[in-house]
Amino acid sequence: MLELLPFLISGLGVGSVYALSGVGLVVLYRASGVLNFAFGALGALGAYVAWTVLDAGLPMWAAWLASVATAMGLSLLYGWFIAPLLAERDSTIRSIGTLGLALVLMGFTEWYWGSSPRRLILPTDAIGIDLADVRLTGTRIISLVVALAMMAAIALLLARTRIGLKMRALANDRGLSAVLGVYVLRVDTVAWLLSGAFAGVSGLLLANIVRLQATLLTFLVIPAFAAAILGRLHSLPATVVAGLVIGVLEATAILLPGFAPFRTAVPFLLALLAIILFPNTQRLA
Amino acid sequence: MTELPPLKADLALRLRSVRRLRLRSLWQMLLVLFALALLLPLCANGYWIKTLVSAAAIATAVSGSALLYGQLGLVSLCQYALVGVGGWTALRLSHGLHWPFELCVLAAGIAASATGMIAGLPALRMKGLYLALVTLMMAGGYQVLISAMGFPDGGEGWLGRAQGTDRVLMARPALAESDGGYLTYAMLWLAAILGLVEWHKRSKPGRAWALIRRGEAAANAAGVDVLRYQTWAFGLAGFCAGVGGAILAGGVGQLDGRAFGASESVMLFALSVVGGVYHWLGVLLAGLLLRAVPALLTDYGVNGYLATMFFGASLVHALTTAQRGIAGQWLDGIAALSHRLRGSRVTPGVRHD
Repeated sequence: MLELLPFLISGLGVGSVYALSGVGLVVLYRASGVLNFAFGALGALGAYVAWTVLDAGLPMWAAWLASVATAMGLSLLYGWFIAPLLAERDSTIRSIGTLGLALVLMGFTEWYWGSSPRRLILPTDAIGIDLADVRLTGTRIISLVVALAMMAAIALLLARTRIGLKMRALANDRGLSAVLGVYVLRVDTVAWLLSGAFAGVSGLLLANIVRLQATLLTFLVIPAFAAAILGRLHSLPATVVAGLVIGVLEATAILLPGFAPFRTAVPFLLALLAIILFPNTQRLA
Repeated sequence: MTELPPLKADLALRLRSVRRLRLRSLWQMLLVLFALALLLPLCANGYWIKTLVSAAAIATAVSGSALLYGQLGLVSLCQYALVGVGGWTALRLSHGLHWPFELCVLAAGIAASATGMIAGLPALRMKGLYLALVTLMMAGGYQVLISAMGFPDGGEGWLGRAQGTDRVLMARPALAESDGGYLTYAMLWLAAILGLVEWHKRSKPGRAWALIRRGEAAANAAGVDVLRYQTWAFGLAGFCAGVGGAILAGGVGQLDGRAFGASESVMLFALSVVGGVYHWLGVLLAGLLLRAVPALLTDYGVNGYLATMFFGASLVHALTTAQRGIAGQWLDGIAALSHRLRGSRVTPGVRHD
């Protein structure tokens, strides 16, 4: 059991980011029917902005703020100006539209900052605690706390607030909600902003845990899709649990003899298994 | 001869006109591809010949992705992974069993077709977005698998991996050993695959797909076996990708596992839409956009990531305002010009493909 601990802790770190990303994806999908393929690209651009802020000698809170604000701003711009152009199309086309945004953002980031991988070192990397021979850095602790806090906040927002109620109404039936007087554009705006905030935080954390490279971060969102699939694109608690389980299994799979080179396939295998085993997937599409 | 009632006669006339236009489009396609197959090796230098071979191979794979999206509205995000399946099979058979190149290509197509059908089966229970996600998960899984396994390069064992200098290139067909000859050969395969796809569109499967696109209930009511024809579409799309993979493997000689990421499948789908999924010209354009445009930008010292930005913007443009892609816009332009030259007016909204 003790030999598992380092992998468990490492897996929880990555898993919390998968869970965070999965929640960000599900929140937007439930409200607007768009599965945001640009989630990773938004996070990557936010992380590069944070890197620039830190490089300029500004404090860490400014980097966090810049990262989240950039991702939220860009997400909102897409939600305001492009998403309405596809509002009448089916969910697949609305989601595929965000692939266009992903390519634009990824191209811009690689062009402006270059394609060489960088390290995003946060001041909190230097501090930490030792837990059974495992070093848990301040950033890992922050990532776990922030992830849990954001997920709890979004659950509360959806369950207890008026805007949450409207978002749930839109998820249920957009047309009917509009007839009943829900301002669709206003609720969409909140959903795009929230999704952008989740993308900004996830991007910054993943850039710190893995590395800062636009293409890598853009497509690192794919395991988060697995978490969202396991949450059936609907349930936030299931998405959170799925994200954490994926992270832990991916990390501990390294201990299986002969499976180490294939361990990053764990999210995809779990998602495919879930899709095959779901009794009724028609309603999800 | 019995005279047809006016409505039926009008319908028969329109049907004949559509058939004539379609046949003309088929001949145009074959003529253009044969002309390109003969002329390109004479005009292009060594670097461009290799680039165009890759573009032709990718266009072959794009024809499958365009078929699924254009005919059935299905988004498959694992087409490049199927190119990899085809490439792996062709390389393994060529190195291990020394099969003739054409047999390797056909076996690659069949292997990728079977994989495509298996990929499609769980997804057939679902619609739209979930299919895109299933195929994306498969592309992600394939990326991990092929990065760890690598492609066969003449070694021993089931994986056929060689060490260091023992690596060998895939043998090309005897008729097309030179780069120029191989470009002609690749273009002829592209013509054959596009012909096969066009033939499907114009025959029973095409009619079944058109009905399924309208609604599965309507198709069922009309007696269409939805599962069979959807699986057939997946199989055909996989076959196109597999043939593309074998042609790519023959062109380069070896394939690199790191080049088969899920991002490539995503890009292939995106540029299929940008090129245009409803016309063979769109398939050619997508192949060029994926391989030739980056090479052209490199020639002019322009950062290739600007092309990625342009592709992203083009995808949004294609989805919002130009659903028939660049090919549709070009065909409209050509039709408008031709009508202007003839002194007649173009009817707005009439498709010219």
